[in-house]
Amino acid sequence: MNWPAFWLSLQVTAVASVIIFVVGLALALLLARFRFPLKILVETGIMLPLVLPPSVIGYYLLLAFGRGSPLFEWFNIRILFTWQAAVAASVVVGLPLMVQSSRAALANVDPLLENAARTLGAGEVRIFWRITLPLARRGIMAGIILGSARALGEFGATLMITGNIPGRTQTLPVAIYDAVQAQRYADAHLMVLVMTVLAFAGLILARQLEPPLPGRRIEQSAEASV
Amino acid sequence: MNPRLHIDFVKRLGNVTLQMRFAVNTEILVLFGPSGAGKTQTLHAIAGLSTPDSGSITLDDTTFFQCVPGKPVVNLPARQRRIGYVFQQYALFPHMNALENVVFPLAGRRDARDRAMELLERMHLAHLAQRMPHELSGGQQQRVAIARALATEPRVLLFDESFSALDRPIRERLHDEIRALQAERRLIVVYVTHNLDDALAVGHRLAVMRDGRIEQIGRIDDVFTYPANQRVLNILGLPNAISARVVETGPSGALLDWDGITLEAPPSGAAPGAQVMAYIRPEDIRLIYPDRPLSRVVGNNHMDGVVVERRLGRHVHHLHVALPDGRQIEVVYPASSYATMTLTPGERVRLALRKESIVVIAAHSGLPQTVEEPHRQGANGADDGPARDPALAPLPPP
Repeated sequence: MNWPAFWLSLQVTAVASVIIFVVGLALALLLARFRFPLKILVETGIMLPLVLPPSVIGYYLLLAFGRGSPLFEWFNIRILFTWQAAVAASVVVGLPLMVQSSRAALANVDPLLENAARTLGAGEVRIFWRITLPLARRGIMAGIILGSARALGEFGATLMITGNIPGRTQTLPVAIYDAVQAQRYADAHLMVLVMTVLAFAGLILARQLEPPLPGRRIEQSAEASV
Repeated sequence: MNPRLHIDFVKRLGNVTLQMRFAVNTEILVLFGPSGAGKTQTLHAIAGLSTPDSGSITLDDTTFFQCVPGKPVVNLPARQRRIGYVFQQYALFPHMNALENVVFPLAGRRDARDRAMELLERMHLAHLAQRMPHELSGGQQQRVAIARALATEPRVLLFDESFSALDRPIRERLHDEIRALQAERRLIVVYVTHNLDDALAVGHRLAVMRDGRIEQIGRIDDVFTYPANQRVLNILGLPNAISARVVETGPSGALLDWDGITLEAPPSGAAPGAQVMAYIRPEDIRLIYPDRPLSRVVGNNHMDGVVVERRLGRHVHHLHVALPDGRQIEVVYPASSYATMTLTPGERVRLALRKESIVVIAAHSGLPQTVEEPHRQGANGADDGPARDPALAPLPPP
């Protein structure tokens, strides 16, 4: 078991998840509530990493963060071949899942309830925190779990932009690839098992949260009232 | 007392233009009309949930909306208008219990919970304060919604088909409640419905709407006694609309020729020869006992007919009577009356269309029954005549 890679993966996933949550929620709200020109292009652009090959994503990230890019030259962001590059790759691939799920959840909140809140004297910010967000929370949580799980599993683009430096930029998926290449199968077995268990747990959790299940809620309330 | 809520605005909505102009006092005004008339949109404009194209909406000294040439534009956000709005679909926040729903508009006040509890008690719901909305019946949910709407201490309360999903006994109790609340808190209430029974049960005044405008507004009795035009008659679903020619007028009454039947009617402004719209109030028609002397109240307009259909109701019965030439008249009589008469279909009856039962509502000079607006198919009563029974449309072919 490659523990440094395990811990690094957790660290990368944790940081990426926070970014996915904040950015993804903002994008979901933008897409669910506002109309603007070229919206379809923005939507498609966010979803693109779901279908692009990892090498293409990796290539774009090299362009975005490499020498000569605005981020590099103007903002002095130099993260290629550091663990932060792995975060960037994870965010890009995890974001579409978060946006998709939370956008649907936000759009599902009945505008009638928001209108009711307006007539009751609530401002838009309060309505978002007290009404919209709580009612969309299942979909949003499902989205962040799926996004995080995808971030944890990110491999291709990460390999291209982190340089696979053991102990510094090597994440668990990359370490598995390395172990197999070097024919350290016992190592690989264990890491594969860990990855599978984490992903499995994540998906089950997301499934539990995902749709607002009216049937289940009634069962729960029946139990509660007994 | 002067009206307090003044509404005068225009808003274009797809294929109708909403042109509303009315005023409401401390009273219950019912906006009544078919769906698509613009009732809900009117409430939205008052509450600030939608913005009219132009005009003004004011409550006492507060301007809610103003978009008039030469004056600054005002559009107070909904949250600052403090208008109670009770929606058809309850619109309780499903993730909060009854008490939390009522506390929501009181947020920030130290006595929020006590006040919310008081309101729930006022609506007889104190024992259900901890229930979630989905654990409450429709009527209970709507009571919570009313309590919640009252929490902001609104001067205006709007009901948008609020009880149309509820069973009749519950609806009746809520109507009593609304009338009590209105009186006790001196509220300005606008109540939207497409159900005439609800309108009559709750309203002080009635505004009859169609195609984005008010056709008639007034005390309920007045609207029913003197419908302003044929469209009002149709919207109210009043039976026995007729078209007749004025034969003679005098100080004591007028003689009408209803396609061969002569009717004595109360005096009206129409000149002899004019074609007029009229309707025969079904509850003012009397049946004549064959074996008794005529009493004075059934003096005029006797005619023979045959019972076509009888519909029994809780308080009144409806009788459809066919005259010898085939046209039909609807009669409404108290369930306790005519107990000794046989009134099954096929039975011969003699009717007295009392003079007072005939209401002349509109005059058209000379020409037979002009259609004011050609696109309104129903304007001459032939197509969408009395909603209760299209067969009753009394206009015979020319």
